[in-house]
Order: sequence, then structure tokens, then C-alpha cells
Amino acid sequence: MSLLALLSTARAEVRQTSVWWLPRNVNMFGHEIDFIFYLILWLTGVTAVAVFSVMIYFLVKYRARPGVPAIHSHGNNALEVIWTTIPVFIFLALAIYGNEQWTQMRLRTPPADALPVAVVGEQFGWNVRYPGPDGKLAKMVASKVGKDNPFGVDPADPDGMDDFTTYNDIVFPLNRPVRLYLSSKDVIHAFYVPEFRLYQDMVPGRVYDFVWLKAEATGNFQLACNQLCGQGHYKMFGKLAVVEESAYQAWVKSKAPAPTANVEKTETVPVSLVKK
Amino acid sequence: MSTIAATHVGASHGHEEATGWKKYLWSLDHKIIGIQYLFTSLFFLLLGGGLALLMRWQLAFPSTQVMANGDVGNPIALPFINPQFYNALFTMHATVMVFLVVMPLLIGAFGNYLIPLKIGAGDMAFPLINELSYWFFVASGFIMLAGFFVAGGAAAGGWTSYAPLSSVAAYNGTKMGQTLWAAGIFVNGLASIMGAFNYITTIVNMRAPGLGFFRLPLTVWALFITAFLLLLAVPVLSAAGAMLILDLNFGTSFFNPAQGGQPLLWQHLFWFFGHPEVYIMILPAMGMASDVLSIFSRKPVFGYKAMVFAMIAIGFLGFIVWGHHMFVSGMNLVLSAAFGVSTMVIAVPSAIKTFNWLGTLWGGSIHFTTAMLNALAFVAMFVIGGFSGIFMASTPVNIFVHHTYFIVAHFHYVLFGGSIFAIFASIYTWYPKMFGRMLDETLGKIHFALTFVFFNLCFFPMHNVGLGGMMRRIADPTAYEHLRSLQPINQFITFAAIGLGFSQLLFFWNFFRSLKHGQPAGKNPWHATTLEWTVDSPPGHGNFATTPKVYRGAYDYSVPGHPRDYIMQNEPDAPDAPAIKPLTAKVPVG
Repeated sequence: MSLLALLSTARAEVRQTSVWWLPRNVNMFGHEIDFIFYLILWLTGVTAVAVFSVMIYFLVKYRARPGVPAIHSHGNNALEVIWTTIPVFIFLALAIYGNEQWTQMRLRTPPADALPVAVVGEQFGWNVRYPGPDGKLAKMVASKVGKDNPFGVDPADPDGMDDFTTYNDIVFPLNRPVRLYLSSKDVIHAFYVPEFRLYQDMVPGRVYDFVWLKAEATGNFQLACNQLCGQGHYKMFGKLAVVEESAYQAWVKSKAPAPTANVEKTETVPVSLVKK
Repeated sequence: MSTIAATHVGASHGHEEATGWKKYLWSLDHKIIGIQYLFTSLFFLLLGGGLALLMRWQLAFPSTQVMANGDVGNPIALPFINPQFYNALFTMHATVMVFLVVMPLLIGAFGNYLIPLKIGAGDMAFPLINELSYWFFVASGFIMLAGFFVAGGAAAGGWTSYAPLSSVAAYNGTKMGQTLWAAGIFVNGLASIMGAFNYITTIVNMRAPGLGFFRLPLTVWALFITAFLLLLAVPVLSAAGAMLILDLNFGTSFFNPAQGGQPLLWQHLFWFFGHPEVYIMILPAMGMASDVLSIFSRKPVFGYKAMVFAMIAIGFLGFIVWGHHMFVSGMNLVLSAAFGVSTMVIAVPSAIKTFNWLGTLWGGSIHFTTAMLNALAFVAMFVIGGFSGIFMASTPVNIFVHHTYFIVAHFHYVLFGGSIFAIFASIYTWYPKMFGRMLDETLGKIHFALTFVFFNLCFFPMHNVGLGGMMRRIADPTAYEHLRSLQPINQFITFAAIGLGFSQLLFFWNFFRSLKHGQPAGKNPWHATTLEWTVDSPPGHGNFATTPKVYRGAYDYSVPGHPRDYIMQNEPDAPDAPAIKPLTAKVPVG
């Protein structure tokens, strides 16, 4: 693996996100994930090289030769203790460190000025709801999410009067925290953007309000559903752009508020993909 | 046989040798049942492999790809693979490989064949239940595969069949196929449960005199522990399958939140089975590979007791790690902490086993037979698969690599690199005992080399496409801008998979040709120590002419001062040595 890592640096310019390696990271939280990833990669890489070296050495040195008998040994308790204890400490340290990072990520409260964005999956597309000038989203109630009310909002909710919705189209402002409200209308979908190091299942009947992010670079990405959701699953993707704050404001202005819970649909849901 | 019928242990298992068609279709002899399992699951292996190749073809040359001018992008795409059929392909590939290939090969074929022979018993404790278990297994296979021929096609919700996609017909469009899948799982579960309590009863009660638990070969230990895992985990899956059938067909709503159900209930039930299942599919492989490594290193297994305790630890811990499959569902932090720690800790016994395998090689006299090469590949590939598992155990990394090809690479390294290589090692080792003839070593080595090379060419790059962000279970990676540049790697993987698939034909050629044309094996071609090598190849009905007496552990290789480099378990220290007091284990009589 480390060999491929070397290869990848050589080829990095071929694709903005290397063919052989992790895509670039644009999310504030991605750095910690990448750090743990590389930590584990080094630990396992070095250990793997050691294990394979010992193995190959033994295979050559102790190959059967006439007149050379095998050593009769049933084992060694001191060795057993050593190679039990050391992995225990390494694995416990990894578990505790990983868990600490995870807790930090999950418990860090989104800043008060975070932009709330609701994303509700359905077979096979993404309903997206943005707050209007008041900066507030209508309150989502998981039990109300359904066919005619994808966001599970109360139509009379004053916070929701100026909200606007899009379909398969997400824009995040650069360097501004975004708090996601994720849910699903029908089956389990998952919000997955590799460049954000972000994956979150969206189980129907729940609203996930703990996911937040901060984009650190502009660019065009794809939001993919990464939980098998039916025959159209492979085409359930949306546009996801990170733009400068001014461009974001211009985009918001171009959207008309949708006072009711209806969704602006840019395309119909591909119900029948099965070719005859 | 008739002259010794009065004394042979077979008299105690309450049935006579079957003849004619009955011998192969309705035999109560554990050896025939083991061979039935072997042939049936090898057939399913070809089938499951075929499904995988169709899948790979679609990923390399998607029939769904449309060019800018509106033409289908690939002239060599297979037009019948539409997205729904693709989903059915990977669902059924996994289902077939897990329930109809790896489990029945390890547990059905080798469990049945080896347990009585290795413990010195005439048969299993419950021969009739044993044969019933086989036929339930066959039935479950046909029920699952029938899905391909019903309206809507086979189940297409993944082998994990997450609800509510699986439990609501309007969402999946495969009501009948999904129902058949669940019914197949249910029947397959019954077969596993019948096998499991039979194995436990047999091992506890029918060991030969002198064969204490700590003299058992690791193969038997591994199958013993596996049987407990089956007995505790499989009923949960069967119950979940029954609930799924009710939800799909009879208006209940266990899993559909729109009617008050709970989708996470399915995940808990499935993974409460699903994670022990992972160990069900690797523990017997570990046990058999340990024995093969010992035989061909001419050395005792290094740290025998540590190996046993490591397997017991895996068995216990295997039941408290299932939540790591659900980190991404938005789990409570205390719970994810507990599952994260238990998941890391379960890596410890696996590490212990790896070190002991290396210790077994140390100072040995290593014979590179085909069986040994496969066992060595098992160790090496299991190490890689184990290491990639550590990424998954770390919660923050898990949320990035979860459901990408990284995890596909991981479990194929464990299941194919681990279990299947161990199965090849075991077939090469015990085929001579089963059929009385040797497999061809030259063909075997060519088969091994091709399999080993193509396996790595096929599955290693999957780590890279996974890290590159390629999701599993998508019918067309070229639909995604961020995956298009990975397409050459996907095509490379497909060619390697085709090479891997076709290499297996060599194995099947060798397997069937050697039935007639192989060199006669004799009783003990490998100079091994355990009880199955004390009898004819193949052993007669009832296995042992007289109940063997065991005087030593299973691994007395290269004992200094002994003229041979192995001492059979039933050999006393000296011809006139006093008989060793039999242990308390009883051999049932009558």
C-alpha cells in the first residue's frame, strides 16, 4: 500500500483527486479523519512489512532439507504474553483515540450562525430546503415526513414562510458552517460526499441534526446516495457546489420562496428504469 | 465389513451402510453427507462466481452508460444487465457465497467429514438429523435461486436486505424474490441449527477414550466453537427472516416507520447474526489451516492452548461487536464507544493466532505441497484483510470508507483470501482421505499460483478505488463524475476477476480427473498424526474397526529420539507401556 502511496504522489497532477488515492479534502473535519487514516496506514503498513518479512525469511530458512529435522517445540509462554500484551495496548490506544476524535466531531456544537440546510432523500433524488432572508428553517418533525410533505414541516410555521427548496441541487457558501438536517421519505438513503469525508445514513422516521461541516475550498462536487435504495440507486446523485459567499447570495436571490411544503422538481423521479 | 460388524463402533450409531442410489442421496453416514455438502457447495461456488463475473462485466462496461450523442457507450456491454438485475446480481452473489458456499464447505463438508474421524467416533450423534440438515440446505439453495425466475426477479436489496427497502414491496419491486430470499434464509438457518447441535453433542460425548479436550486437533476445536456461534446467532436471523416475510406479505409492520415500525430493528437483528457469522466463516478455516501448517512444517502447532483460548475469545467477543456495522446510522456516542473498543479488542486474538502461525513455521521442515501453499496464502491474505479491518474499527475512518470498495476489498481478503484459500488447503489435504486418491500436485501448484496472483490483482486495487470514493452497490460508476477517472482500474479489476474465475476450472479438472486417475493415497499420505489417518482411505462405514485409544495430543511431530518424525495419536509411548487411564468422556454404547 505504501508503494501505491508513492506512486500516487507521482501521478497527483493527472487528476485533481488522485486516481490511486484519497480525493482532496475540502471539509474542516476531514483533516482529523485523514490524520487517523494515515496513522493507521503507517502502523499497519510497517507491521505488515515486518510480518511478511519474517514469514518469507522462515519459509526460506526452514524449507525442508534432507537430514535437517524440525525443532520439536510446543510454544513459548513468555512470547505468548508479549505478543498478547503489545497488541492489546496498541489496539486499545487506537480505539480510545479514534473514539475521542469521533466524540469531538459529534459533540462540537455547530456555531449559532451556521446555515441550516435540510436534505431529505427519496427514491431516487434529493429534496433540499434552504432558509430565506430570516435565516431560519421551518421545524422538521420526523413523523410528519411523507409523500406530500417531504420536510415534515408545519405549513403555518412562520420560520418556513420564506424557505425555498431545490431538487438535486445544493450550494454551500465557502468558509461558513453549514448545519444539515437529514431525513428520508421512504427507504434508507445515505448522504455521501467523499471530498467532505462525510457519510451519514438517513433512516426514515428520524431527523439527523448533528451533522455539520465547513467547506474550505470552492469547487463542484457530487452528492451521492451511498445506501442501496432500489433500482435507481446508482443514479441518485445531486450537484453540490461550494462557492464564494457573494456567489451564494446571488444564487439565493435567484430562488423564489416556496411558502408551502411543495418541492420544486427539476425532473421527474425515474420510476421505471428496467429496460424491456 | 461384515466380519467386524459386531465389534466396530458403527454398531453404536444405529444404522447400516446404505447401498445403491440411497448411498449418495439418503445416506446417514457422516462421510457421505460431508461429500454431498462438498459437491453441492462446489457447484454453488461456480454459480456464485458466475454471478460475480457478470457484475464485474457491468462495472467495466456498463450497459447503462450513455454517450453524449445518445448512443449506448459500450458496444461490448451486456444489454440484459439493467440496474435492477445488477442489484439482484450482487445480492445473490453474496447470498450464495455466504450461505451456500463458504458456510457449507467449511462446516457442512469438512465439519461432517472430519469431526467423527478426528475424534475416533463411528458417526455423528444424530445421523438422521445430519442428513435432514443437508437436504434443508439444498432446499434453501433452490428456494433462494428460484427468485431469478419469478415476477420482479430475485431479491435486489443487498445480502444485508436493509429494511424498509426489503420489507415494503412498493419500494423494492421484488416482493416475490425478496420473500423467497427470506424463506431461503429461514430454511438455511434450520439446516445450520440442526448441524450445530449435532456437532456439539458429538464432540462432547463421543470422543475416543484418552482424547481429552486439550488433545483435540484445532480443526475440531474450531468447529466446536463455531457450532456454538451458529446455535446462538442463526436463530436470530431466522426470526428476522420470518418477520420480513410477514411484513412483505401479511401486512405486519415490524420495519416500516411509515406504519410505526423501526428500520434499525432489522439492522440490529441482522448484525447480531451477521457479525458472529463473520467468525463462523473464518474460525473453521483458522482451525484447518493450523493443522495443515503443522503437518507440512513437521512441527507441533506453536502455542496450542493460546490458539484455543484465542478462538474462544473470538467467539465471545464476536457477539458484542455487531454495532460497528451501524456507526453510520447515527448511533448514541456511548454505544459507539463500546462497540468501537470491543471491535479493536477482537483484533487481539486474531493477532495472537497470526503470531502462532509464524511460530509454527519457525524451525520447521517446511514442505511446499499445494496444500501448504494454500495454507500459507491463507495466513498472508488474512493478515491483509485483518489490517484493512482496523480502518473500519476506527469510527472516524469508518464513516469515510464505509460502503466504499475499500470494504469490498476488506471482506474479500478475509473471505476469499482467508476462507477460500483455507478451503483449498483442506481439500488438498483431506481429498486423499475422502476419495482414496491424490490430487495432481503439478496442476494444483499451477492452480494455486494463478489463483494467488489473480486474486491479488483483482482485489487489491479495490482498496484504491474505494479510497477514491467509489461506492459499492452502484450499477454504473461512470454515472459519477468523480469516479470516471477510476474506470481504467475498474476494467483492470474485471480482467483480473475473469482470470481468477477461469483459473478455477483447473481446480475442477484436477478434482474430477483425480477421482479416477489420481495416485492411490494409502492410509496416511502426509505422515500426519491424527486419528483419521489411522484408517483406510476412504474409511469404511463406521470408520474404526475398534474404538481407538488416544495416548497423546494431535501434534507429536519431530519428537526427538523417535525413528519417525510423527507419532500417531493412538500410538502408546512404548509397545508394553501400561494403558493410559481413559478420561471421563464416555463413548455411548448402543
